[in-house]
Amino acid sequence: MAENPCLPKLARIVDIVEMTPIEKLFRLEFVDEEDAKAFNFKPGQFVEVSVFGVGEAPISICKSPTRPGPLEILVRRVGRVTNALHRLKPGDLVGLRGPYGNGFPMERMKGFDILLVAGGLGMAPLRSVLQYAIDRRDEYGEAILLYGVRSYQEALFKERVIELIEKPEAARFKTFLAYERDDPVFDKLREKHPENVRKGVVTVLFECADPYIKPEKMCAVICGPPIMYRFVLKELVKRNFKPDRIYMTLERRMKCGIGKCGHCVVGGATSIKYVCKDGPVFTYSDVLSTRGLV
Amino acid sequence: MRIVKLPKERFSELFEALKSWGEVHAPVKVGRFYSFKRVESLGEFTLSYTRTMIPPKKYFVKPFEDILKVHVEKGYEPIVEESKRIVLLGVHACDINALRILDGVYMDEIPDHYYASRRSNSMIVGVSCEPDEYCFCKSVGADYAWTGFDLFLHDIGDSYLIRVGGSKGESIVAELTGVVEEPTSIDYVKLRDYELKRSRMFRRSLNASYLPEVVDSLYGSELWAKYSDKCLGCGSCNLVCPTCRCYDVTESLDLNMVEGVRSRRWDSCFLRSHALVAGGLNFRPTRLDRFKHRYNCKSSIDQRTGMLFCVGCGRCTVFCPAGIDHLEVLNSIWGLR
Repeated sequence: MAENPCLPKLARIVDIVEMTPIEKLFRLEFVDEEDAKAFNFKPGQFVEVSVFGVGEAPISICKSPTRPGPLEILVRRVGRVTNALHRLKPGDLVGLRGPYGNGFPMERMKGFDILLVAGGLGMAPLRSVLQYAIDRRDEYGEAILLYGVRSYQEALFKERVIELIEKPEAARFKTFLAYERDDPVFDKLREKHPENVRKGVVTVLFECADPYIKPEKMCAVICGPPIMYRFVLKELVKRNFKPDRIYMTLERRMKCGIGKCGHCVVGGATSIKYVCKDGPVFTYSDVLSTRGLV
Repeated sequence: MRIVKLPKERFSELFEALKSWGEVHAPVKVGRFYSFKRVESLGEFTLSYTRTMIPPKKYFVKPFEDILKVHVEKGYEPIVEESKRIVLLGVHACDINALRILDGVYMDEIPDHYYASRRSNSMIVGVSCEPDEYCFCKSVGADYAWTGFDLFLHDIGDSYLIRVGGSKGESIVAELTGVVEEPTSIDYVKLRDYELKRSRMFRRSLNASYLPEVVDSLYGSELWAKYSDKCLGCGSCNLVCPTCRCYDVTESLDLNMVEGVRSRRWDSCFLRSHALVAGGLNFRPTRLDRFKHRYNCKSSIDQRTGMLFCVGCGRCTVFCPAGIDHLEVLNSIWGLR
């Protein structure tokens, strides 16, 4: 029989970057080279991260497989395991299982324009798509990023986002930013780039991006807090996006990651799905046919 | 599938053969209820019983088990239990079908080692049964086991007709040379008569065709609340359900704060924590949500076996402390009464 899927592999924290007061980026390397070699992931997949003696939590992978170097995960300090993870230091060991989930269909999106819609921490999994599309820029058409944050302080990868706004040609990514709370840096950015930066929630950005949104040849990729999906989907449906070209990645309680423990089960009697295994990436078609998905 | 005949007076020889293969566990009456327990002799158990309170899943998905050892500096290593052979003697068709469903979940493309190793060290010996007022396995097509057993004993009065399900079953039959006989056509008439009599005994029924569609479609029915209001949210139905398999995972350290274990235990979708994520968001926040979720889950089709996730054993109704009747709920949502 293949190896025990419940057994985490050893990984070392090589670097920790404090992104916000509650979010840190962890760079991890497998201790055993064989484990590193066997670990092949796709954008949108996740890992189960263990803190020894505390427990395990599902965390999405925050980088593209096109980038060499350590695995990156972005973790908000919100529960028991993630708080314990935040207390760890570079050099400390953690447990890793995965990668799990279906991931984003990067192959199927080839040749299409891409519209990324990220809200808050939703930037973490979408960063893997963003990097992937930048690294294989010629395989995709126009690329647009809509990013909504509450405040400057809570924005993730803000230097990179600001760079994308100020020098869009470098990555050939049209980037739009929405923020809710007044802030000198973002206010200044908004004065300089009124076409790209708005006050408000992420959906206000559709208006700015509309000249570039071509639903007939575009795939939309969404990630954000659960409440965000309904509003973003409304905007996309209004613009006649094809339901099977709207992708979103969903959050649920996941203990096993391999379709067994049952916590992430969604759907009515005709549409039961495991978010960990059948997802976490779903299309809007899935949403229409699966009760309670968003 | 091969079939042989065993005269009942020679049952003890089968029992001894099973005992020499592994530990025999069979239905034992404990208080008012039956429970699968280890047995050493014929007098300790019965093969004519209605249902055990806890289904045979307890042998494969343990109610509580330590799966990994943890060391705060070194990490995890698996806990491998000593493998031991277990014969489950006297399993009903509904419970065999439930095990097939669990097999599909736990031994899929990413097999669970703990489950799979116990399963491969087990022998399932089925026995025919007579329904009581709670059974509705016939409605959901789980009253007959096509597969999923090593031996299946069909009572035809003075003998058992035994269907032999695989190499483990064959190895037992091989030990009974001279004890088992070739059945005659008269035996098969008795078998048919038994089945006819049994099928007439079912007093309850569920319309299983269209059930997934109807339950899903009537998700908004106000009648759900009538029953969920009575529900205590205790999760007893999950514990006694032969196909309920949700488990929770916990981790704890010994008092030395250095070593500990990661464990898992049966969980229940009726508990508030089941769909609760860190940060406080609950994807099934109300008891009504959780109630409907269980009924939808049980009314859905297992894609691997093509069977309904409910095998009609009646346990959830028998053991519900609030007196909620699974069939009554579904029939009433449907509008059948």
